[in-house]
Amino acid sequence: MASSSSSSSCSSSSEKKITLKSSDGEALNVEKNVALEFEPAKGFLEDNSEEADDEAIVVPLPNVSAAVLSELIPYVKQRLELSAKPVQKKLIKAFDDQFTRHLSDDKLGELMLAANYLGVNYLLDVLCDVTADRIKNKSVEYVREFLGIQNDFTPEEEAELRAQCPWAFEGVDQD
Amino acid sequence: MNQIREESKEIQEPFQQSPPLNTRPRRQRLQRNGQIWPGYEVIGEKTNLGRQRLQRKEKIWPGSEEIRGNNPYPGSRVKDKAKEIVDDNKSPFRFLGSEVIVDDVQDSVPVDSGTNNMSSYGQKTKPGRQRLKRKEYIWPGSEVIGESGSILTYQKKKLEDLPAKCISRIISLTTPRDASRLALVCPAFRSAADSDSVWEKFLPSDYEGFISNSSLIDKKKKDLYFHLCRNPILFDNNTASFGLEQESGKKCYMAGAKWIYENSGISHRDCKMIPSSAGSRFPEVIELKLMSSLEIEARFGTPIFSPKTNYAAYFVFKFAEFREGPETSPIDFEVYFEGSHNGKKRREFLDPQLSQDRGNRWIEIKMGEFSIENGDEGTVVCRLSEPEPLSKRGTIIFQGIEVRPEYGR
Repeated sequence: MASSSSSSSCSSSSEKKITLKSSDGEALNVEKNVALEFEPAKGFLEDNSEEADDEAIVVPLPNVSAAVLSELIPYVKQRLELSAKPVQKKLIKAFDDQFTRHLSDDKLGELMLAANYLGVNYLLDVLCDVTADRIKNKSVEYVREFLGIQNDFTPEEEAELRAQCPWAFEGVDQD
Repeated sequence: MNQIREESKEIQEPFQQSPPLNTRPRRQRLQRNGQIWPGYEVIGEKTNLGRQRLQRKEKIWPGSEEIRGNNPYPGSRVKDKAKEIVDDNKSPFRFLGSEVIVDDVQDSVPVDSGTNNMSSYGQKTKPGRQRLKRKEYIWPGSEVIGESGSILTYQKKKLEDLPAKCISRIISLTTPRDASRLALVCPAFRSAADSDSVWEKFLPSDYEGFISNSSLIDKKKKDLYFHLCRNPILFDNNTASFGLEQESGKKCYMAGAKWIYENSGISHRDCKMIPSSAGSRFPEVIELKLMSSLEIEARFGTPIFSPKTNYAAYFVFKFAEFREGPETSPIDFEVYFEGSHNGKKRREFLDPQLSQDRGNRWIEIKMGEFSIENGDEGTVVCRLSEPEPLSKRGTIIFQGIEVRPEYGR
């Protein structure tokens, strides 16, 4: 999917710039082929295709902050370049690993929400993998904090759930 | 936090006039039904919604202002409406942050201003797109929230907002043990951690071959998983069994004595098929008189095992009622891949003291270990032999050879 959008309209579209407006009101200029990777932007551009001048279009992305967008854009750009070439999956995986390795837990969560909202599924998949790795064999409390989730269970409910599979709670990592 | 709670109480007040609303049970019901996303409980709750609204006015979803102002239901009816939706077990809707999952398809639906057009819920449109474009598009179910005094907002940094498929994916990338524990994180995780899509991944890919003829196929995948952990399934005319190891979901097998006998694995003239006693998983077992010529050999094709797993084979037996001390006789065990035997043997005594108790007087002795990488190793041979003529003789009841994963991998 990534390669088709970038290779078909190679030079002309990649030079065109689109402006994305983040939730905090910042405007970011991106190549059109990168913008097209974001589903809301793609839909917006399709619906405004009668607009002759792409440069005049400002795509609002009210669910993503500028900080997150500015991390996402280089990733998507490089990933597009990578997948346009006949490279091995290994290389893409190495690239993804490199991108995710140094992400803080908070950033990971923000990116995951953004990737979900923007419909960047290949990134979402990678981020899910990383999240799964990071919460493996961790205590429930750790995972809640990791994901910023409040405990909605009553103590009774929690005790009941614990009692169903006590073996699952033995020997988890120290928080 | 306290302040927030108080304020959200204020929001609820209009709905608490008659009858007084007991929020707790309602909320539990929501969670049990798995219909409603946490944080978007329908009404009368300490909700994240309330908080979001208070904290982040700027995050209010486009269009939600309209919804709020355009409540088609008088207060009392809102409750009824909400209850109706919640009580309807067949309702496929779940709130999911600012999105709604309808039978795992993310849909958004145009809403005629103010009317609650349930019939349009099945429409499939591109998610996300309407959000930006058209204010009149709101998410299905948001009427309920809007009516109840809460509003549909975008939640920042709340991973509860991830769609269920994402949470399911994360959980399915962990282990059955992790999944069982992660159910406790929050109700959203619980419904994902119980879902078929997660447990289907934990079940071995070929499980259906073992259960195709039984009623188990209709079970929820999680229930099936634990059923297979606790109740191994018999196959090959009830002479062998297949099951799962609980923590990892890896495959376990037991070749029954009869199965080994029928596959010429017992070179012993004095063996007698007898009906099984309590605690054996097979209907028939074999009574063996220990003497110098006893050899037992079970051979397994490695593709049947789970990949990347360390396995161990166990000799499962018990002593006949009257025994004459075979526990002092040494027995040699060998476990190896055919064609790559290094001649290493493991000498054990059939000593109950040194064996693992399996209940009902059945005991097991470890025969040896082997490692499966990709399943293309060929054939694994589990062998038992008597190294020297026995000075004392005895009788054992042989149940079978069990192969199951070793801990640590």
